This record gives sequence, C-alpha cells and structure tokens, in this order.
Amino acid sequence: MFLAIKEIKREKLRYGLIILMIFLISYLIFILSSLAVGLASENTQAIESWDAKQVVLNKNANVSMSQSLLTKDDLSKTKLTKNEALLGQTLVVAKNSNRPQVSAQFIGVKKDQFIYDDQELIAGRKAKKDREVVVDQAFQTKGYKLGDKLELNGSANKYRIVGFVKNAKINIAPIIYGSLASWRKLRQGMPNIKASAIISRNANYNYNHANSKTYPIAQFIKKLPGYTAQNMTFQLMIGFLFVISLIIIAVFLYILTMQKMHNFAVMRAQGIPSRTLVAATVSQSVILVVVGVIIGLAAMWLTAKVLPAAVPMSFTPQIILSGTCGMLLTGIIGSLIPVRSILKVDPAKAIGE
Amino acid sequence: MAVIELKNVQKVYGTGAAEVQALKQIDFKANEGEVVLIMGPSGAGKSTFLTIAGSLQKPTSGQVYINGEDIANISAKQSNALRLNQIGFVLQAYNLIPFLTVKEQFELVDHVKKQGNLNQATMDKLLEQLGITGLVNKYPSELSGGQQQRAAIARALYANPKILLADEPTASLDSKNVDEVGQLFKKLAQNYQKAVILVTHDPRLEKYADHIYEMMDGEMIKKQ
Repeated sequence: MFLAIKEIKREKLRYGLIILMIFLISYLIFILSSLAVGLASENTQAIESWDAKQVVLNKNANVSMSQSLLTKDDLSKTKLTKNEALLGQTLVVAKNSNRPQVSAQFIGVKKDQFIYDDQELIAGRKAKKDREVVVDQAFQTKGYKLGDKLELNGSANKYRIVGFVKNAKINIAPIIYGSLASWRKLRQGMPNIKASAIISRNANYNYNHANSKTYPIAQFIKKLPGYTAQNMTFQLMIGFLFVISLIIIAVFLYILTMQKMHNFAVMRAQGIPSRTLVAATVSQSVILVVVGVIIGLAAMWLTAKVLPAAVPMSFTPQIILSGTCGMLLTGIIGSLIPVRSILKVDPAKAIGE
Repeated sequence: MAVIELKNVQKVYGTGAAEVQALKQIDFKANEGEVVLIMGPSGAGKSTFLTIAGSLQKPTSGQVYINGEDIANISAKQSNALRLNQIGFVLQAYNLIPFLTVKEQFELVDHVKKQGNLNQATMDKLLEQLGITGLVNKYPSELSGGQQQRAAIARALYANPKILLADEPTASLDSKNVDEVGQLFKKLAQNYQKAVILVTHDPRLEKYADHIYEMMDGEMIKKQ
C-alpha cells in the first residue's frame, strides 16, 4: 500500500487518466444497470405489488395475459380463496379533451379480492362503481387530476378518475384499475368471458381445467413482450463493459509494470520481497478502482437527481453494491495479470545498468 | 574473521559451444573497516562477481561466506533476507526509486524490515556527513548526480548492513566528486565498521583502498 499510494501521489497525471477511464466505465455501468432495472421494474411493477406467485391463463394464450380469455366453463371448477383474484386485462388508449392521450393497460378487478384491497393510493379513493377508475401516478405527471373523465378506446362510456395509485405499471404501460364488468364491456361482443387470468399469492396454487393452465410467475414475467430481449441486451452491454474495464485495467497495469521492471529489479536487489511488490501492484489497482467508482457513484447520483421522471431509471442499493463489487473484482483480476512478470524479475538485472 | 569470503568460485553461463566462464576459481575476502577495490576493464567479470558476492545469483561452484555462513545454496527467501539485512547496494545509476523522496526511500526499508535499521540520531549524523540533511524531502529527479549518489549511499546504509557493495560508484562524477566519494567510503568503512567493496574501473579510487583486486577475463589477482 505504501508504494502504491506514494506512486499515485507522485504520478498524478498518469494515474489520474486511469482513474478517469475507470470512472467513465463505472458511470456507464451504473447508468445502464439503473436503466435495465428501471425498465424491468416498469414491466413488472404491478405484478410485484400484487405479490403474485402463480397465474392461471388460457393455455392457448402463449403465456400472455393480454391474449388470455377465461370462460365460465374454464373457471367452473375453481375455488378462489383470499389469495386468489380474478383479473381482466386489455390495452386501451385513454383520452380526455384537455389532457394528452395515454396508452394504458386496463385491469378489471373484483372489489372483494386482494388486488382491489391492496391498491396503494397516493391520492383520492378506491373505485366503487363501474364507471370509476383508479389510475397509475403516471397519469398525474401527465396532468390528469381527480375527477377527470376518461374515454377508453373511443367508447361512449366515460370513466371518472377517483384515485391515483403508485407502482401500477405492467409492460411499461400505466394501469387503469376498474371493475371486471367494465373490462367485459371494453372486450365487447365476447359472451361467457369471465376474466383474463387468476392471480394467486399462493406458490402452490394449481388450477388446470378445460382451457385453464397454471404458470409460475417467473415464467409469466419471462414471457412478457420484449422483457427477456430487453434484459438480455442490457446484461450483454453491462457484461461487455466489465470485460472492457478488465482489459483496460490489465493493459494499463501491465504497461506500467513493464516500465517499472528496472525499479522492481533494484528493489529486489535491495531485499524487498516479491510479495511487497505484488501487494503494491494489486493495492494500486484497488485504489484506482475505488476512487474511479466513488466518482462514478457521485456522478450517477447527480444524474439520477437531474433526470426527468419519464426516464425509467432506478438507481438502487443493489446496483451500487453489485457494480462496485464487480469493478473491484475486475480491478483485482486485471492487476493479477502483470504479477507473473513481477515474480520473474531478476534482481541481478539491477547490476550494471 | 572476514565478513565476506569467496573460495574457488566459478560462474559459467551457457553450455557447449556457447559456454562462457565468467568467473574462474575466484578467491576473495574483505574485513570490517576495509575498503576493497575490484578493478578491471569491461567484460572482465566484475558485475558477475558483484551479483554472486551480493547473493543476487548463485555460483556454478565454490563457496561464498557471509559472516562465516555459506550462502552459495541458500533459498530465494533466505537470499532476500540476507540482502535486506547484511548487504547494502550502491548501484551504478544510483537507482533510487523515482517516485519516493529521499526520506521515503528509508521508510520503504522500515516497511519490510521492522527492526535493526539505523536509529534517528545515527541517521541524522550520517545524512550530515553525506551533506544531504536538507534534501530528505526531495525526489531523486530534483537532486544532482552527486546528491543522488549520496542519497543512494544513505539508503544502502540505512538497513545497517555489514557489507556495502558499490557498482561503478564514480561512473558519472568529476574528479572533485570522485575524491569526495572516495573519502566518504573510507570514512564509512572506518567509522561504521563496514566492509566496503567497490567495483570500478576508475583508478582515481585506488588511493582510498585498503586492498585492490584486479580482474581480467574472469580471473582475479590480488594487487595490494
């Protein structure tokens, strides 16, 4: 550590440039991770708020709730406890003459079931009548107010906003919570349709009758349109960034080590053990990564503060922890690459040069 | 008793047609308080002698005794400890660590050798003798050649070794500085009871030597 700190202090520009690069990489990793988590969260926010464990869908719906329709016959054998709720989902365009149009997911629920009971209101009250709806806070940020009337998919019926609810997004679209009866009207012309799905908070819930089939929630989330592709894209980018940072750290430290071989030979001739030199190289890498990542975290914190709410960025403690640990690990691995050269330094080379 | 003694030491590099005998049946010894000069032209084997005497490499055959202990076949770890505790090197280009101040060069020794280094009072006296008291916070690049030389000597002596090995210590000094350095080595040997071994081709140092060895084609002859 002594040698590492002294050298960094003396060679400020050289090590400053390495820190700058580590900062930029870690900043990019934090931004991409926050975006990935933010976007993933907007896909699954509502599902998480329901604490869903199992979902029953029409087996021909390709594990897609918006494609699923469960008939009276499909649901004829079901026994719903307090952990199960019927749900109807359909994509709608919400319009109000004085407000911008919003593409949203209409979720019809029953008043005596847990999805209705667990709604976390930030303003107003729960919907009590068929023409009342509770909407996600995204509507509020777009200027919608309590009492505003929504026209859904151009229908003649108008739905009055009576409450705003938080964490109510599915597949990135804000949710409009209404009644199952309203949902059925929006899915006009389909007799015997009861719901799109049964959501269960019971991990052991299993109902497979007629066209019904039960899926674990993880499988359902994985099949959300675009969800897996989006996450894999982010994971690939973040993975590449780690690989790039590993290469940068390793290459820089290797070049610096090669430039210092004569100094190492001199120190070895003076009896300084190899382990001191190896520890100096590894600790130097750790110091550079820690400083770079701290600056990256500060920059990320500022970025998260100034970005508009419309940017789905979620800078969580898990990202801070995993990003920092990942960079540290990368730095340590990178610093081990020149270690072999350090261990092979011939102290006799210090003589006669 | 000799602090350092080499008996029948041979060093051979390469094999077959490429074989080079760098040292041939070398016998050498130096005692505490003496300045011993190893002289000879380039390629005579001076540097090879220094690396073997300084435990930087092993001889092909023969014995190397430091304080009466044969070090010819000690482990790398023991060799490290020996160099740290018993042998001080003053290398040709002074070889101070460029990113450490003069004071930090000593602190580096403290980091790896916790005990037995010169105490503050002795160190202050040595620095004063070397004329570098006011330069301890300077980096090597901020020092002149002569000052770097003195700082390197102080660094070599800081761990309080019995033996001081210097490789061409006057290579880049003018005559006035050569005399100063010669006197300094003489004083250090006598005042601090060190065996000072100077490998050089500079005849201006002969007047400060207690013994002179001449090297030629790997062979060593005691001249004085």
